[in-house]
Amino acid sequence: MTPVVRRVRGAVGLAVAAACALVAGCVTVDPAQSVRQLDQKVPAFGTESLQFLREVQKPEERREAVKAVLAKPLGQTEAVRVAMLNSAAMQVLVAQNVAEATAAAQSGRIGNPWFNYERMRSEDHLEISRMLSFGVLELLTLPQRQRLAAESRRAAEWQLAAAVVDEVTQIRQAWVNAVASAQSAAYAERILQSAQASAELARRMEAAGNFNRIARARQQAYEAEAVTSHALARQAASVAREQLIRKLGLDATQADTLQLPQRLPDLPAAPLEAAKVGAVASDARLDVQLAEAQLRAALRAEGLNGWTSRTDIELGLRREADGGARGFEVDLRLPVFDWGGLQRQGARARSLAAAQQLEATLRAAGSQTRESYVRYLTAYELARHHREELLPLRTVISEETLLRYNGMFIGVFELLADARDQIDTVRAVISAEQQFWLAEAALQSTIVGRPAAGAAESIMRAPAAADAAAH
Amino acid sequence: MKSRRQFFSMAGMVGGAAVAGSVSRVAMAALPEPVIEQGAQTRPPLQPSSGRPYRPVTTLNGWTLPFRMRDGVKEFHLVAEPVVREFAPGFKANLWGYNGQSPGPTIEVVEGDKLRIFVTNRLPEATTIHWHGQRLPNGMDGVTGLTQPSIPPGKTFVYEFVARRPGTFMYHPHTDEMVQMAMGMMGFWVTHPRGPNPLIDEADRDFCFLLNAFDIDPGSATPRIMTMLDFNIWSWNSRVFPGIDPLVVRLGDRVRLRVGNLTMTNHPIHLHGHEFQVTGTDGGPTPRSTRRYEVTEDVAVGQMKQLDFIADEEGDWAVHCHKSHHTMNAMGHDVPTMIGVEQADLARKISDLVPGYMEMGSHGMDEMSTMRMPLPANTLPMMMGEGPFGALGMGGMFSVVKVRRNQKRGDYTDPGWFKHPPGTVAYEYQGETPPPVRGGTR
Repeated sequence: MTPVVRRVRGAVGLAVAAACALVAGCVTVDPAQSVRQLDQKVPAFGTESLQFLREVQKPEERREAVKAVLAKPLGQTEAVRVAMLNSAAMQVLVAQNVAEATAAAQSGRIGNPWFNYERMRSEDHLEISRMLSFGVLELLTLPQRQRLAAESRRAAEWQLAAAVVDEVTQIRQAWVNAVASAQSAAYAERILQSAQASAELARRMEAAGNFNRIARARQQAYEAEAVTSHALARQAASVAREQLIRKLGLDATQADTLQLPQRLPDLPAAPLEAAKVGAVASDARLDVQLAEAQLRAALRAEGLNGWTSRTDIELGLRREADGGARGFEVDLRLPVFDWGGLQRQGARARSLAAAQQLEATLRAAGSQTRESYVRYLTAYELARHHREELLPLRTVISEETLLRYNGMFIGVFELLADARDQIDTVRAVISAEQQFWLAEAALQSTIVGRPAAGAAESIMRAPAAADAAAH
Repeated sequence: MKSRRQFFSMAGMVGGAAVAGSVSRVAMAALPEPVIEQGAQTRPPLQPSSGRPYRPVTTLNGWTLPFRMRDGVKEFHLVAEPVVREFAPGFKANLWGYNGQSPGPTIEVVEGDKLRIFVTNRLPEATTIHWHGQRLPNGMDGVTGLTQPSIPPGKTFVYEFVARRPGTFMYHPHTDEMVQMAMGMMGFWVTHPRGPNPLIDEADRDFCFLLNAFDIDPGSATPRIMTMLDFNIWSWNSRVFPGIDPLVVRLGDRVRLRVGNLTMTNHPIHLHGHEFQVTGTDGGPTPRSTRRYEVTEDVAVGQMKQLDFIADEEGDWAVHCHKSHHTMNAMGHDVPTMIGVEQADLARKISDLVPGYMEMGSHGMDEMSTMRMPLPANTLPMMMGEGPFGALGMGGMFSVVKVRRNQKRGDYTDPGWFKHPPGTVAYEYQGETPPPVRGGTR
């Protein structure tokens, strides 16, 4: 029997060594590694900004870097950079990913062997027995479990990439909203000034006997309205700024130093071409990759489940102290009551679900891109229309209004009312451009496979902008 | 009808206003060549070269239509057509008129003249001409649908009648007249007495002009034809001050002003420095017993008035509609009064919002007469005119009767500003001005 035992022991030792080697080689988790994958996973999406995630820096260094960026008005790219360096939420994403990856890696490791020591005394007899036991099935399925672990980790990486893309999109949109609403609030202030001038003149008119109460009250009503909309505009600007501050993860000191650009960037000379947008192959999309990884993991799990659902085998090597009796024990779980059919059925269902999920993702991918592109293109055209048609028209109206005032065809109140209308148009232009940049961020996200919210908002807000222009 | 047919048979044409001659060469051969005038200056009186003699009138910023005598009939040719009329330098309007101008040329005839007036329609729509105030056969009265079919575009109609009574008349369309008169279609008509008339004195200078009004949005050029009352261009012969020529006379001249009103409101015409008598109205010369001296005479809508005076005071005498808003050019009738409202401290705030803004009206509007600010294209300042003592701040229905001792007879050239004899111009008091004593409260 000895040679058999030896052989077994030898095999076990080898397997353990091999397993250890495997475990050491493949299934460790390096946080930096996870982040590094991101750039390759999302080549079309802000590679420049994502790299900051992987820079493992000391907190003080990060603070300094953030401080340097915040010293100047914060651009959109810089906003993403600050968030990468500074945002605790972003670090949460990375840490969660590490946790998931380690959990996955854990499942690819071999369970530790059990050492059993028995000491029994009866009367004058002392029995000592020792046993080393381990799961044979666990060992035999180790390669499968390692492949499953690897797939799970890949899925987790895609998940992280997706979460980062979502976060970046939200940061970009938060930045757009903060800049646009601050810009809009500044113009609301000018409307208020105009209304205040009208109201003050009207009060003087009434005092001089040139206006009656109703005429004065009408002018004052404009002022009252302007106060309201100015307060709302200021609130909107503050809210958007605070949302950005949270997205950037700024503390109170950093938030104080945050400056935003005076205005949104100029519109691109031409919109992204449909061909370029469509050119991103669907298998390069994050959602497709994630679904594929999840499907592969599910299939691996199903395969493994084919074994583990039926039985479990444990082998123990035993040695008695007195008499030196040696031997082994085999524990075999007998599939008498449960043949594991339900487990296998469940695993199959999970594989099927993952396969269908992939299919659904593939099918939706093109449509989502097209929808997002239409929203983007419409927003672009509306923004251009606002800037190149509405605004010049409004400028002509204002120029002619001033000429009409010069000729005493209209009075100063009409002149001021026109100034308010013109500023309203400017605010509509800002709003249209805001919608464009929101749609642009959503499209960038959609192209890489994260159909982003915010695009829907642009459609809802467009009539408001049109109303403002018509007002 | 028979007599009329006989009367007109010598013209070799079918009688009646309903004759629609197409403008073919054959028909044109029978037509007097239409005379088309450009430019808005006052032409010298047109001395008649044939027919019965008369002393011609001067049409302010206008002209008299030449005629031809043909077999004892005085023939005129009016062409109704779109025109461009300069109201004053810097402002031209797209109007409809006759023979190149709005108003159309003055027609001068003599009591008893047999007349044939060809009317060619070059407008995009039908028209007719109504001979306002004339005694004539009913079928010559020019009322579309009522007394004749309208003249379609491109067609020429013939009006034939005898100038039965002397006086001051007008002509204007009676087809779509709301539009066509709003577009400036009208003209003056003078029938001179056949010989000496006990009620009609011989005038040395006989000026005629039509009162007309337009609503032309500043910056545009075509009248808003739907406007009923709120006009912004108040004109004489489609001219506004300072585009209206002065009425130049010689000291001692008997001067006649013939004024016809084709606006939508009355105009009290006021003459400075003289008294005039209303020597004629719509119905002809007034009986001498009704004449009294006036300085203002109201000319009601659709009326003609003939005002005679002796120009016996030298100087530059204003003559104008006494509705002071009618002596303004285009202005906003809804502009609020700013008098007494200090704006200076708000001006900076406002001009921050409206670059180029200037405060106006806090101390009245006189500053408008000297302020020269950019205006909408093709638009005159509300208050204009430069005189020897500065800005006049006038517009619209305003002109000057220039009475000069040395003006030659028949010479209408502008003699320039009056040279006042020393000590006859208002001057500033140089002494102390004690505060006025106000009564009442004590």
